[in-house]
Amino acid sequence: MLVFTRRRGETIRIGDGIEVQVLRVGRDGVRLGVVAPPDVPVHRQEVYASICEANRRAANPVPDLVALSRRLPRERP
Amino acid sequence: MKHMNQRLASSRSERLVDAGIVLSAQHAIRFPGGLPGFEACRRFVLFAPEGASPFQYLKSLEGPPASFLVIDPRRIVPDYPCVLAEHDRQQLGADADSVLLWLALVMIEPDGTIAANLAAPVVINPAGMIGYQLIPQDAAYPLRHVVAGPDYPTSE
Repeated sequence: MLVFTRRRGETIRIGDGIEVQVLRVGRDGVRLGVVAPPDVPVHRQEVYASICEANRRAANPVPDLVALSRRLPRERP
Repeated sequence: MKHMNQRLASSRSERLVDAGIVLSAQHAIRFPGGLPGFEACRRFVLFAPEGASPFQYLKSLEGPPASFLVIDPRRIVPDYPCVLAEHDRQQLGADADSVLLWLALVMIEPDGTIAANLAAPVVINPAGMIGYQLIPQDAAYPLRHVVAGPDYPTSE
């Protein structure tokens, strides 16, 4: 892992078009600003991990879709 | 042969689905980044087995085999906001007038509970056959929204 010391307002540049700027440094956290091309997704790690986990739980085959659809609440007219 | 065995082992409804629908590449929806946890799944087909409405299946055509049961989130929460930010629309090559398909991934839990992921829906632009999963910074809806409790068994 590359380790940098950065002060408030200073930036790290990654590859072509990705910038990470330190906006604010507090007691418990650091506020970062990220500039990235539109095709580069930027997420909080724990948010991405929780969606990975939810997707893995959703990827189970279902035995009987017809029976399952009967269990849904009725559609409002 | 291995594939055939898997086919035989799968449930009856699944076999009917595979028999009745041609899962060809021309119907493939591209997911350039895959789905979180399934990043290698770059192409999916969406199909609706007979009688299963309002559920549909989103099935991977490449990468690890993965099938997801999906449903329009508005079928669960009628006023669910199907609104995309400009940045997200660009991902799909869509503009403000594009008709987009919104799908919540459905989880069937071991005790039979049906839950839907309303926090991170899959959005598809049918015009470009391209889709991706929305990863919200601050989700207003939960990753696990219970649709039906565990009271009823899912199998016969």
